[in-house]
Formats: sequence, structure tokens, C-alpha cells
Amino acid sequence: MAKNERQGETQGEYKKLQDEGKYRVGLDIPTITFNKIGKRGVRRLDGYEKASGKAIYTRDIKLPGMLYARILMSPYARAKIKRMDTSKAEILPGVRAVIRYDDPEVKDRMLNGSYFGPEWVCPELAGWGLKPIHPVLAEEAWYEGQPLGVVVAADSEEIANEALRLIEVEWEELPFVLDQEEALKPGAPILRPGTDTNIIVHPADKRGFIEKGDVEKGFREADKIIEFRAKRNAHLWAGAEPPSVLVRWRGENLEMWVHEQHPYHAKMLISEWLNLPMNKITVHTVYQGGSYGGRGNPANNSENGMNILAALLARRTGRPVKFLYSRNEYFYGESGDMEVTYFKVGTKNDGTITAVQLKNIFAVYMCTPSIDHFIDNTRIPNLKCEGLTVDVSKAPAWWCRCEQLPNCLCLTLVFDHVAAELGLDPTEVALKNDGCEGHDMAYLSKYKREHGFPDRDSLKECIEAGKKAIGWDGKWHKPGTKRLPNGRMHGIAFTWNHNWDDVRGTGSAAVMIENDGTVSIIGQHADIGVNPWTAYCQIVADELGMRYEDINIKPFNLDHGFALMSPDGSCNLPSNGYVVREAARKARAMLLELASQKFAGVKAEELDIKGDKIYVKAAPEKAKTIKEVVAKAMPMFNSCVYWTEPPVLAWAWYTQGLWGEAVTTGRPRLCRQAHFIEVEVDTETGEVVVTKVVNVNDVGKAVSPETVEGQMYGGTYMGLGRALTEEMVWDEQTGVLLNRNLLNYKYASMLDYGPIETIIKETGMGHGPYGSSGIGEATPTMIPALLGPAVYNAIGKWIEEYPITPDRVLKALGKA
Amino acid sequence: MQEKEKRAPVSESRVRLVVNGETYELGVQANWSLQYVLHDELGLTGAKEFCERGVCGACAVIMDGRPILSCMTLAIECDRKNIETIEGIAKANHPLIEAYVKYHCMQCGYCTPGFVVTAKALLDKTPTPTEEEVKEALAGNLCRCGTYPQHAKAVLEAAKNLKEG
Repeated sequence: MAKNERQGETQGEYKKLQDEGKYRVGLDIPTITFNKIGKRGVRRLDGYEKASGKAIYTRDIKLPGMLYARILMSPYARAKIKRMDTSKAEILPGVRAVIRYDDPEVKDRMLNGSYFGPEWVCPELAGWGLKPIHPVLAEEAWYEGQPLGVVVAADSEEIANEALRLIEVEWEELPFVLDQEEALKPGAPILRPGTDTNIIVHPADKRGFIEKGDVEKGFREADKIIEFRAKRNAHLWAGAEPPSVLVRWRGENLEMWVHEQHPYHAKMLISEWLNLPMNKITVHTVYQGGSYGGRGNPANNSENGMNILAALLARRTGRPVKFLYSRNEYFYGESGDMEVTYFKVGTKNDGTITAVQLKNIFAVYMCTPSIDHFIDNTRIPNLKCEGLTVDVSKAPAWWCRCEQLPNCLCLTLVFDHVAAELGLDPTEVALKNDGCEGHDMAYLSKYKREHGFPDRDSLKECIEAGKKAIGWDGKWHKPGTKRLPNGRMHGIAFTWNHNWDDVRGTGSAAVMIENDGTVSIIGQHADIGVNPWTAYCQIVADELGMRYEDINIKPFNLDHGFALMSPDGSCNLPSNGYVVREAARKARAMLLELASQKFAGVKAEELDIKGDKIYVKAAPEKAKTIKEVVAKAMPMFNSCVYWTEPPVLAWAWYTQGLWGEAVTTGRPRLCRQAHFIEVEVDTETGEVVVTKVVNVNDVGKAVSPETVEGQMYGGTYMGLGRALTEEMVWDEQTGVLLNRNLLNYKYASMLDYGPIETIIKETGMGHGPYGSSGIGEATPTMIPALLGPAVYNAIGKWIEEYPITPDRVLKALGKA
Repeated sequence: MQEKEKRAPVSESRVRLVVNGETYELGVQANWSLQYVLHDELGLTGAKEFCERGVCGACAVIMDGRPILSCMTLAIECDRKNIETIEGIAKANHPLIEAYVKYHCMQCGYCTPGFVVTAKALLDKTPTPTEEEVKEALAGNLCRCGTYPQHAKAVLEAAKNLKEG
């Protein structure tokens, strides 16, 4: 389908949802007084459980009779199993089941690749899913460390491991290729059977190509053309809790404990694969030790595959099975920004950018059109992006907090190269080009006024706050010109973007007034640490007029039918905030209606709620506790002592829509973010020392300010690691990943970096509830690219390859 | 039917562990780590398996007054040792717990018990640490969510609360 047709169809869907009140455009004006919303010092809902060690994670759960499952990992970058002898493993005491790749139950059975049946995922997902071309238990490895061949269930993890060691495999090693540009050269091994190319996505495919305006015209109008190249090497999630799944059959019913971001999708997929009706599947989600996208790739064996294999083993043995990955096996993917990009930029001498052209070559699967943020945030009229995605002998690349990494890399490098070439202050270049979808700020001002938003210049406010905090005006200097007394070169840099995300996601939840007058929010939600539950309880408390302490959430079970938007895309709050608020409003109406029956001659609209009481607005002394009002409103009661009433329970579904351009969503990006960094570069050792970071995020409205700050500084640590130390390194001779552990895959520790200052701006211009926007992915995605211009400002040389390791710095200085 | 292959006999020893003031006597295999015994045999799941090789501190417990990495310690070597875990620290209502909640020292929370245990060992030895001493003591604990700026605040407040009783 052509893009325009799809856009038209999507617009129609938006219109329909808008008419039904399930999708809103325009400022969300609060109808209540904030008591807890936006306040500091609200007790964190999951805090005690986590600090006291009482929080239970998937890996902690044990069931009676439980077996442990382990899977073989490929020792070769590309190899085929010629022969496999499992006889010794099968007779090892304690081994209860062995399933081989040639077992009839799995032979020729593919992983179901997407959320949408056995097709490529829908175009809206920009190619982030995989074709279902990978067997659930493969015979052939296309990367080292790939789970394949055979899976074993045993009485203990040790026995399962020993069984794997006893399996004799005769491998046929095949030629491999690690680099995406090498994979395009004539003579490179073709990795996929049945094709004559390693190209997976070609610009001719609509997912790989975006054009706005006419870049050739833009280049002709430019005073200066700037061309350069950048390369981002692989990094990954490295979440705290290694993956696992626990399954148990209860007759025909399957029960699962999953460590996944998208448990509902896990249920859909396993239902499809096993041909098991969805109503026979129960899914539990306890606390999860991080994900960052790493527990969210449905097409990978490490997600859907391990669920399927665990279910098969459990069915065969009649016992619960816990399938475990170890730390080194958790290195089963890379971030989706494994890319080489060729840039061509046209600019006027005053910093007005006339055209941006990007040619991306991505490795293994992800293909993010990295021109999106230029569309979303700038008035640049001519944009073009060609994306090629190339197969290499590495694990599939995927979302990695977050899929906007290529966009942020490209936006930062384009703006900082333009500023550097023209000798302009990069903050001025940003302000000169700020806008939306080719339009300038006047267009955005008009939109804001027409849709009830305050007409504030978010980027300008963010820049002013950040400049002040870092002391920009006294510190910014020409590249390579400031040597410090300690001998190091001083560097300072800035980048910016819109503050995503407030325009997507769908969820559902119920709000129930329990019989004692306390409140439960019912809706499955996978916790990955971003403290959304506190925010939901704050919203429900304030909307009901009740105490925060009386609100709780029941997020650990999918069986009750409600599921909040998964913790993805920085849109927990902008989507789920509306969900829980709508459910709270409905429950409040029900509660007041019930209460009006208890107050003689008083209508529901004459009542109000404060704390644990319902009172008559005109005569506040006339009050009843909520507990009194709901005394008989209960879901069940085994008695004929008195009549009962229906429970006060209301549910809501809400959608923030699809991620897309304002032309379809009706919501241009209004909130911005700005980041500043100061570094010192040792020109003898190549070491980059980060001395200060300032994050400024316009989150529209901060419902839980401490949580917002946590995402800002926490993400900055992740971003700094990615910028400087986090790199997966493969042996070129063997294709083996050399640093499958946290000793050699290094991320930030407490002492690694200088102070991080977090500044929250609240312009109220988000499309989320109360004018809010997202925060979860902003800094880890923005900060990595920022080190490039920072090091450039210090030494006057661009480092082309990320992460910026000492050897690359020395190479740029001509010393290595 | 083929006879089941015999596994090499697993050597097992009885050990006595004093965990959070309670005595446990159990048989442990020679290759079992203390983390495995605490987590899987005794059900004290606060000591987490994270890096699996002594890099991250998520499995930290206090043994005879010193913070140790339970994933790198063989249980068989812990006979008659006094071990304090996060469960014991929480049960004793140590002020670190509330300070950690107050300062949002957790996000996903998987590494948090390891931080609290390490901080408790510090405060046992150094009741009024400086900010630098706190950071140094906790430098061996990894947090992927990046909660680092909050820990010193919480530990210093807990130290103050301990002193003031």
C-alpha cells in the first residue's frame, strides 16, 4: 500500500477514535486540584519491596517438582549441525527430557515472527519484527552464541549443563562476515539460503526510504556543503536479571511466569504456535530486573522460542519447567543502531540548513529511518534518507533504549558539524532550525494557540536553563584551543531534540473500590523499574479525591483481562495516565451514585470525596466514610444475612495512537530537550574524562519529579557508557564475541563520571495527561552522540567511530 | 533398555550456617556457591545472581562482619560462619531501608539488596562515613539503571538516623 493511502486510512481511524473520546488532540486541562500529582516526597510504591530484598523476580520463583531447562549455544559464527549424538545426555541420571532439532514436534517449525501472524510485521513497525524464517530449534547457526540444536530439562541446572556437555556435535563450519560494508562487497559469503545478496532491506522498499522536498534543490541553495561519515559499533541492553521463563501445565491450561516487556504478546504468540486457545493461557509477570528492549524481541529464540520450548518440555515431562539463560547467553542481540551513515548537508552561512541527506547501512534487521527527528523537529525543507539493512553473522539487532538512537546520532552530528564548519554557537544553529515538519516556529505557535496550549518556546527555555547550569557562555570555545592546567584539553558540547514520547500506546485498566474503602488499580503491567505505579496511584488518588496511601495497583497478572501499555517508547505515562484517570473518573461517578442512595434526598452531583469520606458539598458536616458507603458493594458474599450491591468497579481503554507525523496524528512535537556536557581529553593516553553533564528535559508536566530525575541521570549513566566504553567486540578470525560478560563489557559504575545535573522544565505542552510528555528513553539515547562534538571541541578532530575509546582518540590525533 | 549412565558421585558435606541469627544445618555439594545455597536452598532470594562472576555486587552478604560476594564463595567453606543477608537487615528495620526508599535508590531493583548489604557493612565499620567513603564502598556494585547519585544521600541519612537513634 502506498504511504499516502495508508496515511489516509490512518487519519480516518484517528478521527473515529477522537469522536469516541478515546483519542484526544489539544491541551489536556486538569479538572481537579493536584494534591499528590507533581509533588515531591510521595512514597515510592515499589520502594520497600525492592530495598528490603522482598521483591520477587522471575528467576526467584520455584515450583514443586520444577525442572531446569538449558539450550545449546553455537560455538561458531556460522555453522551447520552435521551430526548430533545425544545418547549420553539422555541416559544421564536426572535428565528428564531432551528435544532435538530433528524431533518431529519441532522439525521445520518456525518461530512465529511478529505480533501479526506469519508475515512481515505491519509497516507501521518500521521493520522491527522479523520474518518467521528462524526455526524454533535451528540446525544451522547464523551467529556465535545462537541458541539452537537441542534443549534439555533436568532436575537441576547443573545436571542440565552437564547433559549439554555430554552432547556430541559434528559441525560443518561455514564462511561468515561480521561487517555490513564487507558483506556488500563482491565475494562476501551470502548468509541466507536461497538468495544472492546480503541485503535485507533495500531503499526501494518503502521502509528504507523517506524523502521530503528536494534535496538537490536544497544543496543548490546552500552556501556550503558538508559531507562526513560516522559509524556506531554494537552495544546492548545488559539488563540486571538474566532471562528466564517458568511454565506449568494444568491439564490443558498453560501457566507462564515471563520476564518480558510485552506479556500479552507472549500470550498471543505461544497461543498461535501451540494452537492453544488464548483463554487457556495464564500469564504472570512479577518484578523484572531490567529490560531496555532486551526482553522484548518476539521473533528471537530468547523470547518466544524459550517460551515455546519450555512449554514443550513441561508437557513432555508433566512437570513445571524453568528455562534459564546465563549472563553470557544474554548477549543474544545488539542495539539497532549498528550502523554506518554517510551524511551530506547543505547550509547557509548563517546556520540555516537547506538540505540533509543520509545514507544508512544498518547491520542485521533494524532499519530506522534516521531522518525522522529532522522531520519532527525542524523547518529544514529538504530531507532524504536511504536505509540499507544488511545481514551479517551477528545476533539480531533490536530496540535498545531506544530505537531512536540512529535518529539522535544523526541529528546531533548534523547540527554539530554545521556549527563547527561555520564557527557558530551550536545552540544558535539549533534555534535557527527549530520547527516542525518543514514549518517554522510561527506555525507551531499557531497550532499551540488553536489547541489550547501555552505558546512557549520550549527549546529556547531548555537551552537557557542548560547554558546557565553549565556556564556555557564563559566556557564554549573554538575547537582544540583550551588546554587545562592539568595538561588535558577541555571540551564542551550541546545537543537537542524533541522530548519523546507522548503520542502512542494503548492500554486498559480497572479501578475498584474494595469493600473496606481502599482502591485497587487492576491491570497487568510489566515493571522494568521506571516507577510508573506510583504515578498511576497519584493520578487515581487525586482524581478520586482520596488519599494516595489508600490506592494500590495489582500489576502481576494478565488473567483479569486488563493490561496497561507496556513499558516501551517512553509512553507509560502519556498513555496509561489517561487509562487510569478515565477508570478513576468512572469509578468516582459510580461511587457517588451509590453514596447518593445512602444520603437521603441528596443527588450524586451534590456530593464530593475527600480522603476516606464522602460529604455533602453544601453541608460538609454531613459525611459518611467510603467504607460505610461500599459496605454492601461486593463481588461476592456467602450469606443471606443481608442484601448485597454490585461492586464499584469501572474499567477504561484508551489509545494515544500510532507513532507518526503530525499530519496523521494531529499532534506535532511541542516539548524539547537540551543536553550539555563538559569533558577533558588526555592527548597522551586518549582518555576522555566526563566532568559535568546537564540534562534539561521539558516533560510538559512532571507527575512524579523524583521519578523523572531518576530517568534523566540514570539514562545519562547508560548513555555515557555507550559513548565511551560499551562495545561488543568480535574476533575477526573466528567471529566469536569476545566480551560476553560484565567484566569486559563495561558499563558505568558509581565513580566513573562527574556530576549530572538534571533540570525539569514543565511547559505543559505535552499531549499526555495534564500536558505531560515521556522521559524514559531520552537521556540514554541522546547522550551517546554528544560525546562526538564534545571530544571534537576538545581536540579539534572528529572521531568517526563510536564508542569513543582511547585508541580511537589517539588515532584521530595521529598518535596511533 | 540401556542402563542409566552413572554420574560421578557428588561429594556432599554437612555445614552449619548461622544466617541472620538463625542456625541452619544442611548438606551442601562441594561446588555449590553460597549464593545458590541462600537463594535456592534456604529461600533467601534477596542475594541475586546478576553478573555471575564477582563483578556486580548484587549477591553481596556480610560474613563475619565483612561484605563478600556470595556467588564467588563456596558454601562448603562457610561452615560455622555468621552470615547476614538483606532479609536480616530488613527484619531489623535498619534505617538504610527507609532511606533507600526515600531517595529512590532503586529502579528495576534487582541490584538494590546488594547495595544495601554493602552499605550496611560500611556503616557497621564506619558509623559516620564521608560521602567519598560511601561512594568508594559502593563502587563495586553495578546498577544498570544508573541510580548512582542517590546512594550516598541515602547512606549518609541512614548514618545520621542511626547515630540519633
